Amino acid sequence: MLFKIAWRNIWRNRTRSIVVIASVAVGLFAGMFMMAFFQGAVNQEIDSMVETQLSHIQFHNPAFIDDKDVNDTIANGRAIINKLKNDKDVKAVSGRLVTTGMISSSSTASGVEIHGVVPSDEKAVSSISKDVIVGVYFTGLKKNEIVIGEKLAGKLGVKLHNKIVLTFQSKTGDLTAGSFRIAGIFRSRNSAFDESTVFTSFDDLAGLLVTGDGVHEIAVVLKDGQKTDAIAKVLKTEYQSLLVQTWTELSPQMALLTGIMDQMMYIIIGIILLALMFGIINTMLMAVLERQREFGMLMAIGMNKPRVFFMILLESVMLTCAGIPAGILLTIITVGSLARHGIDLSAFSQALSQYGFSNFIFPVLKQSMFLPVSLMTAFTAVLSAIYPAIKALRFKPAEAIHKI
Amino acid sequence: MSNIIESHNLSKVYNPDTIPVNAVSGVDLKVEEGEFTALVGPSGSGKTTLLNLIGGLDYPTGGNVKIGGIDITEMSENKLIDFRLKNIGFVFQAYNLIPVLTASENVEFVMLLQKTSKNEREKRAIELLTEVGLKDKLNKRPSELSGGQQQRVAVARALASKPRFILADEPTANLDSKSTENLLEIMAKLNIEDKMTFIFSTHDQRVIDKARRVVTLVDGKIVSDVKQ
Ligand SMILES: Nc1ncnc2c1ncn2[C@@H]1O[C@H](COP(=O)(O)OP(=O)(O)OP(=O)(O)O)[C@@H](O)[C@H]1O
Ligand SMILES: [Mg+2]
Repeated sequence: MLFKIAWRNIWRNRTRSIVVIASVAVGLFAGMFMMAFFQGAVNQEIDSMVETQLSHIQFHNPAFIDDKDVNDTIANGRAIINKLKNDKDVKAVSGRLVTTGMISSSSTASGVEIHGVVPSDEKAVSSISKDVIVGVYFTGLKKNEIVIGEKLAGKLGVKLHNKIVLTFQSKTGDLTAGSFRIAGIFRSRNSAFDESTVFTSFDDLAGLLVTGDGVHEIAVVLKDGQKTDAIAKVLKTEYQSLLVQTWTELSPQMALLTGIMDQMMYIIIGIILLALMFGIINTMLMAVLERQREFGMLMAIGMNKPRVFFMILLESVMLTCAGIPAGILLTIITVGSLARHGIDLSAFSQALSQYGFSNFIFPVLKQSMFLPVSLMTAFTAVLSAIYPAIKALRFKPAEAIHKI
Repeated sequence: MSNIIESHNLSKVYNPDTIPVNAVSGVDLKVEEGEFTALVGPSGSGKTTLLNLIGGLDYPTGGNVKIGGIDITEMSENKLIDFRLKNIGFVFQAYNLIPVLTASENVEFVMLLQKTSKNEREKRAIELLTEVGLKDKLNKRPSELSGGQQQRVAVARALASKPRFILADEPTANLDSKSTENLLEIMAKLNIEDKMTFIFSTHDQRVIDKARRVVTLVDGKIVSDVKQ
């Protein structure tokens, strides 16, 4: 019967209760939306980093990582690539030559990282081939073709089919220069990457570096990215002389970003719940003070304090619990639709793409968020009813009843 | 017959530190089982205060109250709530009922607090409401009942807990004369048929006339105590 009383009491002041239920729903929605938004942004960022640069797993000669010395190639790289290509968990493999050098046009020059890739392999590993906006990702017909970013092309003042010169140190220590023709210009989500990375064919670069069959980097994309850590563990024991790294190891700042995002989400939700708490305290306090005489009467006829306390808590929890499903529904509908169509942030895109973020954020709703957020909200409701309930317990029946 | 209520040198001073008000001073009152007693006196004479002290709704500043031989003025607040639930029925001037519950639910509520079984609660609620003439109002909420009907539900509710006695502070103050007469008839009937002890305060001469004992208070002191 306490449940019945509490439930009916909620509806004594319909407007007030609806306002509380709505604010719980909106608060919950705001919290979940934030979480979904950031989760989407982080996921996209990770995907984009994995697609454009990191892949899931990379192999290097351990010495190569320190100073990217041209000499530190992976011994029998070709054999490893072929073996990995036949692994059932592996989707694609690309062997790369990586060196730093100088790119110069007739007007200016810039430092770049040069990636020598086998176009057909690299296409399957990274998304750059899909980001080509002018020209093509290597015709494969001519020698010394180069693909550069739009940002870099602008900086150098060059266009498609223009000639540029790459200068770098070969394996023998000589300063080598090669003249390349621009076959394609790409624009990825990350403009810093676009400005600093260029692609040539593996064979052209190998010829100039005099590295022969040597490979600096083997990038592996797995069929299931979730299995990265488990598969990397196996590969690490199999190739002990090589440095085998997952994308999180290659880019610790990404892992850090995920952690910071998590903390931020809890802070935001904390703030929302705090606001909610003051709303509920205020409402319940009004509801309790209004019914002072009633509480006096209830205690006079023998309703003990734990029961009175429980009833007030129950009212608060019921109010909140009516708001929680409403909030979840609102979240599922809104975020569900936005997850399909994306949230257009092109108004802020300049700044975002500088940090590698996409213009469109596709929020990701994790089913696992519902329970903790709902519980936190319910807990807030209980917490915020405690003060009003204590207030009610302080009423003296003799005084409360005779209050006019 | 044995005394169910016994007060000794009972006193209550309000605001002892500022402007002291001797609302009740040195009251010795004995009430026997089966009494139908009216507490009368001018406004401010201490009727409500005395009833609150006897009913364990407030603590005295001096003296004591024994109910069935047990000194209730020594009890903690929580113990008193439990004691009231088991021993005393209350009918107040107004705001007796839980507004969100129906008449029968209101009567059941005290029995629920006493942990009576559901079947028994329902049966007894119907019985009691029939006894006070509200058989056809079982499922009406207080707001759908007249003032007199509400007071009759309050009497039924007070009886539901099977108390030793019922205290009623001006139960008819808000009622018209017909409802007053009706409520008094019901109370008198319960007193005679069920031997239920009633102590009620009132200003109404017609109510006083129905009482079998009249205790008159002036300035917190008993000035007369007559059986009629
Ligand atoms: N809570 C309180 N604080 C201070 N003084 C009080 C309080 N309650 C009652 N009094 C005073 O105590 C005295 C007795 O009051 P009480 O209410 O008991 O009288 P009463 O006989 O019930 O009056 P009425 O017929 O008007 O109901 C009055 O002078 C009143 O002003
Ligand atoms: Mg009074």
